[in-house]
Amino acid sequence: MSRWVIKGIRTGIVTTRYPEKKEETPGTSPGLPEQVTGIAPENRETESRCPTGALSREKNRLNLRQERCIHCFRCSRGTENPIPWKNGFEWAEIRNPEAVVPASLRHSLHIRVVDAGDCGACLNEIKLLNNPYYNMHRLGFFITPTPRQADILLVAGPVAEHMKTPLLKAYEAMPAPKRVMAVGACALNGGVFGPGFVTGSGVADILPVDIEIPGCPPPPLAILHGLCLIAGQLKNEPNAATGTRKGEK
Amino acid sequence: MPGIETLLIGTLSLYTAGIAAAFLLPKEKTPVLPALFGGTGSLLLLFTGIKSFLPPETFHAALWTVPGIGTLTVSIDTLSAFFLVVTAIAAIPASVFAATRLKQTRWQHPEVAAALYLGLLISLTIVIIASHVFLFLIAWESMSIIIYLLISSDNNERPGYLMLSIGEAGTLAITAAFLLLSANTGSLSFAIIKTGAASLGPGVQWAVFLLVFFGFSVKGGLIPLNFWMPGAYTAAPAAFIPLIAGATLNMALYGIIRVTGSLLPIPHAGPGIIMLIVGSATALIGILYATIEDDFKTLLAHSSIENAGIIIAALGAGSVFLAKGHLAAASIAFAAALYHLLNHSVFKTLLFMGAGAVEDKTGTRSLDRMGGLLKHMPWTGLFVLIGALSIAAMPPFNGFVSEWLTLQALLRSVELSSPGIKLAFVAAGVGLTLTAGLAVTCFVRAFAMGFLGMSRSDSASAAKETGKPALLSMAGLAVFCLALGILPTYVIPALNKTIRPLTGASATTALVPGFFRPQGKLPEAFVNDFHKLGAQIGKNSMPGRGLAVLHRGGTKNPVVFAMSTFYMFITLIILLGLTAGLVRLFAGRRRKIRQPRWDGGVRKLLPEMTYTATGFAHPVRVIFESILRPKVVERKDTIAEHFRVTIRQKRNEIHLIDRMVLNPLDSAAHRIARTLAKMHNGRINTYAGYALLALIVFLAIASII
Repeated sequence: MSRWVIKGIRTGIVTTRYPEKKEETPGTSPGLPEQVTGIAPENRETESRCPTGALSREKNRLNLRQERCIHCFRCSRGTENPIPWKNGFEWAEIRNPEAVVPASLRHSLHIRVVDAGDCGACLNEIKLLNNPYYNMHRLGFFITPTPRQADILLVAGPVAEHMKTPLLKAYEAMPAPKRVMAVGACALNGGVFGPGFVTGSGVADILPVDIEIPGCPPPPLAILHGLCLIAGQLKNEPNAATGTRKGEK
Repeated sequence: MPGIETLLIGTLSLYTAGIAAAFLLPKEKTPVLPALFGGTGSLLLLFTGIKSFLPPETFHAALWTVPGIGTLTVSIDTLSAFFLVVTAIAAIPASVFAATRLKQTRWQHPEVAAALYLGLLISLTIVIIASHVFLFLIAWESMSIIIYLLISSDNNERPGYLMLSIGEAGTLAITAAFLLLSANTGSLSFAIIKTGAASLGPGVQWAVFLLVFFGFSVKGGLIPLNFWMPGAYTAAPAAFIPLIAGATLNMALYGIIRVTGSLLPIPHAGPGIIMLIVGSATALIGILYATIEDDFKTLLAHSSIENAGIIIAALGAGSVFLAKGHLAAASIAFAAALYHLLNHSVFKTLLFMGAGAVEDKTGTRSLDRMGGLLKHMPWTGLFVLIGALSIAAMPPFNGFVSEWLTLQALLRSVELSSPGIKLAFVAAGVGLTLTAGLAVTCFVRAFAMGFLGMSRSDSASAAKETGKPALLSMAGLAVFCLALGILPTYVIPALNKTIRPLTGASATTALVPGFFRPQGKLPEAFVNDFHKLGAQIGKNSMPGRGLAVLHRGGTKNPVVFAMSTFYMFITLIILLGLTAGLVRLFAGRRRKIRQPRWDGGVRKLLPEMTYTATGFAHPVRVIFESILRPKVVERKDTIAEHFRVTIRQKRNEIHLIDRMVLNPLDSAAHRIARTLAKMHNGRINTYAGYALLALIVFLAIASII
């Protein structure tokens, strides 16, 4: 009956130490394509393989618009000119320089999750944040059922027509200071769905987005990174994966 | 002030004049009669009761001599006086309310209804003052029949019949008990029975107790004989149910106290234990069914069962203490019982008036179909809220004082030595505590689902405030709820006059120390201890006693328990004011944002989406499923056998008592009837055979003897 106690003690602590320590366990993130230079102008195969237009050519340089990438690996597998991928997950980007919440909220941030028409993948990753491995409670992040207590509105999905009103209502119901976090390719630009007759082209169309997390879906650590950034637990330092992206949009 | 006799004659002649007027005046004017004659008569009744409480007055009168039965007498002792006061307190507002309702509903014969109502008041008065078995039984029986007629006046025959039939069984038991008593004492007069009863053997005492307890608990709604009560109370017209629930339920308790407390005090603990256990079980079952009930009036009926249970449990505890010689504890328990009886009359009358007003204005009694009534009926809502808080035992209202005293009295079982009795007290205490908890759930639900939120039906959203006379009568009772709640130290000395003859000890000395008056009776050190705590506040301005209810123990443990609802009330007001002031001071400078309520992001919040009374009670239903035993019938509507369109679930809950008592009785009666019916096969030779058989048997017996 109580074998789980013994099992638990034997297993020990599995929780990741991120963000205090670097997280390098393989498999926590699918990674993203790297930016590549030196591609022959006539070879347009690689970029044409990208279904979402995340890759674009600028002379002999292949630029990556990571907010569009859906990790399909078509640019790295099954092609004659595979482009290298880079592991990592610190992709979050703060859109609004004043987005970092006041220091008093740094270790107690309440999150209201709104599924604005997402396919379930992003929600699944958000759900994983509460599991023993990622355990976001240790950093002071809590999911709350009501926007009245929420500091952060976490939106996933391309904002379907029917979710527009609830999303706006939830935003209005939140007390200040409030921040909006767009999670996943759909929430950033409509992703594989939109824009269409029932789906929008991202949260930014109707709400001021403070922080964006690309990925389709973004791995839990990417969301955790975003939360740490907006909570001010991590400094917004451009890393190798995101550094070159500045000023593209 | 005129004497008791004058007041009593005045009361009864006013009631009688009302009945006469009902048949003499034209039909349109009859609805005001209950208010006019019943109200003023009850006012005189109140004076009669109060005057009988005052020391030199005792009332005893012989009416007339009936050949073969003896001289019929009436008398008012302090026990009768207490019940006269309680009845009058419930009857004055109930009469006004009855008049307003008689005016509004279309009665075929308002004069008959008014006359019956006044007749009920007369029979109630006579039940209380009768001191002769014959007079008592006549009054008791006429009370039962009038209640049956009042309940059935709305053409609901089954609940009335059920009440009448089980009530007759009760009356039969009471009659048997009284006959047993008078056969052993040789008289039908209460006074002679009382002096002669002490010498009765234990067998007769037990028989009398069991018969009386059975007989009166039918009217009082104790298990297992309360199956008539929810149906009858629900069927009773709103005009009369406040009086029926507020005053006639008390008569059962009056009968039990009269016989077991005054006429035949039983010197052993057995009956007390039975009352304690039956009382607490009744309370628990009553409140459990009240919590899950949807019909407002049925809910209140179940809650009446609960309160009768609490009173009987306190009485039982008092009897046990008395039998074991713990007079102070017995006085506390009796004080708790009588206090709760008074409180129950006040708030149950109030709540039934509220239910009647709501039913009148919305046309429904279903809590599921109410909601949001506070907007339309603010005053009714306020008074129902006060009644609900009182009945849920929330301080500073009156229910708190008596339930607190009841539980404290049960805790005094530590003084008893027998472990078996202690165990019974513990079981009863647990039951009553659970009851108190469920009562809060029940009345939070009743008020919130009725008066708060959104209106869940068109009739609820179109409701209007009820009329001024009805509101006035509710307001009077609401004031009583608060007054009885914050001034227990003035109520207990009054109750003490009733308790002292029953227990031979004073509840006042056990509970209300004379901090201010009489001076100097308390030990100096004790007084000093309490003066540090502020017990002397108002020493010079207060007219009477201190405002703390306090039970003193020995030297080792100077205070066993203490409470002051008055100071609690004052503190509550100060804290509320302080909070409001602080909020104004600090939050005044802040920016205020007003947003619509969070509704989960729906486009429009519809009443169907909000919580219903059934939904609110669901956790209780789930927890107590083993008691409630619902039969769930699920029906699925499908298209082409595969696509479900709707799933309907219907829960059939048969009341525990119905399941365990009424239905087996019913089926047993049917089985016996079926068996006997086989005799009647319709052939003439069989009947001739029966005649022959009877003749042979008769001859055989005759020849043997």
